[in-house]
Amino acid sequence: MKKKGNYSYSLAVPAVVIYTGLFVLPMILCFITAFTNWNIRDLYHFSFNGLENFVSIFSDQFFLLAIKNTLIFAVVTTVFKVAAGLMLALILTKPFKTRNILRSLLYMPAVLSTVVIGLVFTAFFEMGGMWDKILGLLGYSGNLIWLGNEKTALWCVIATEIWQWSGFTMMLFIAGLQGISRDYLEAAQIDGASSFQRFWKITVPLLAPSFTITIITNLIGGLKVFDKVYVLTNGGPGYATQVLGTYVYKSFSAGFLGKSSAMSLVLTVTVCIITLLINRQLVKREVEA
Amino acid sequence: MKHRKYLIPEICMILFTMLMISPLLIMVFGAFKDSVGAAAFDFTLPKQWEFGNFSFVIQNGNVVRAFINSLILTGFTTVFGVLLAAMAAFVIVRKDTKGSKGIYNYFLIGMIAPLQIITTYAVLKVLHLNGTFIGLIMVYIAVNLPFNFFLFCSFIKGIPRELDESGFMDGASQSCLFFKIIFPLLKPVTATSIVILAMSVWNDFQLPLYLLNTPKKWTLPLTVYNFYGQYYSKWNYVFADCIITAVPILIVYLFAQKYIVEGMTSGAVKG
Repeated sequence: MKKKGNYSYSLAVPAVVIYTGLFVLPMILCFITAFTNWNIRDLYHFSFNGLENFVSIFSDQFFLLAIKNTLIFAVVTTVFKVAAGLMLALILTKPFKTRNILRSLLYMPAVLSTVVIGLVFTAFFEMGGMWDKILGLLGYSGNLIWLGNEKTALWCVIATEIWQWSGFTMMLFIAGLQGISRDYLEAAQIDGASSFQRFWKITVPLLAPSFTITIITNLIGGLKVFDKVYVLTNGGPGYATQVLGTYVYKSFSAGFLGKSSAMSLVLTVTVCIITLLINRQLVKREVEA
Repeated sequence: MKHRKYLIPEICMILFTMLMISPLLIMVFGAFKDSVGAAAFDFTLPKQWEFGNFSFVIQNGNVVRAFINSLILTGFTTVFGVLLAAMAAFVIVRKDTKGSKGIYNYFLIGMIAPLQIITTYAVLKVLHLNGTFIGLIMVYIAVNLPFNFFLFCSFIKGIPRELDESGFMDGASQSCLFFKIIFPLLKPVTATSIVILAMSVWNDFQLPLYLLNTPKKWTLPLTVYNFYGQYYSKWNYVFADCIITAVPILIVYLFAQKYIVEGMTSGAVKG
């Protein structure tokens, strides 16, 4: 008879090796290279320069702007995706005849490549494009260059992101809603709770795990954003929509590997701290169902 | 009676959904228009269906090559990524010791922290794998391992241990047991894992941009983006190229929808 400990790790070795070599090792190396003057011209020779990279990036106003943009992007998209996702989920768990096909259609943008979505929305926001026409119908004729204007560009990228992922968030909430036993809601109804009360006092608390998942995955995704910004604005106009992901790439293509490692490290630390803090707060709110 | 009550909300919802997906129609219709018509960015049907747009893109957009490249990357990553994750998940779930719990948590890092692409580039360079498909495939496997690993873990927890014991009694080795008895039982979660992994690799833009330096090796999303750079005023061609990139995924979505939704929602639970 085999006991627990008698299984051998042999089957896990390939996974652990490849994950360690190409995910964990680069992460550890990044903690080293972030403190060096490493650059593309001489890949194998670099020397430590202490905190120089960090002093330099934190005194770079465009890097600070990138941090600000990243945080705005992550927070705003998360709030709207969660709100829209929840609303859609609540509606599409009603007994509609067409609800399955509506769910599939709303989820569809999530399976398309960001490049395709990015190009479609480049066209959407183009001067005289759909967006201007919609605004025209509402009586507003600004005809702005939406993606080329410092004030509007970031918001266009944010809107595109919300558009692409609200359906995905909806599916997560639908999975959560289906896990709530109808008994609670029926019991509350018999006790005379209004539908508003039932929603806030029963559905929302019992959905807490779904909130945790949707908020965390969307926040992580938002902080790591790269390709949507790259395709829609490439960080422009000027540096107006530069986020950490694109700024790291910019520095990487310029060959400043040490400096871009430092930036990348800032991003990683931000992601980890925010995720852990929020996760702790959210898990605390979860109730036993 | 009951149905009546939901009729108006349902109609509103249908209209809303149509409005939501309408931006995609600019692309679908635009791909069949001439360049002037496509640049109007509206939902009108093409006056004349220009199927020639597609052959132009296939000839000038490096599409065939990129399609094959995307297939190679997606295929190998999926096969090995799924297999490695399943094998590891089986041992880690079954062992249930301090060490295996440690490895479980070790994979958790990858669910949160982003990949450090710059130093990954350096590691590949040292291994002389920079700019190669093998290098990129290995990176894809590594990055996606945690997600697939947890997907398999939660499924394997539901498979009774007695199965293993009877296998061992019959003298099967651990690998033999896994491949002959356990792995066939993992079919549903394997399907989910394959579809999700294939989709994310097919759609990925960031890693090929960083790690593949020659246009000959570019994947579809990269060539589409590059094509847009060359033909940014010819939206009919750009849209046609977008459609060529999107169609394979949409076909997969149509047939494997159940697995996609299940995987993306259940996988996230473990996050």
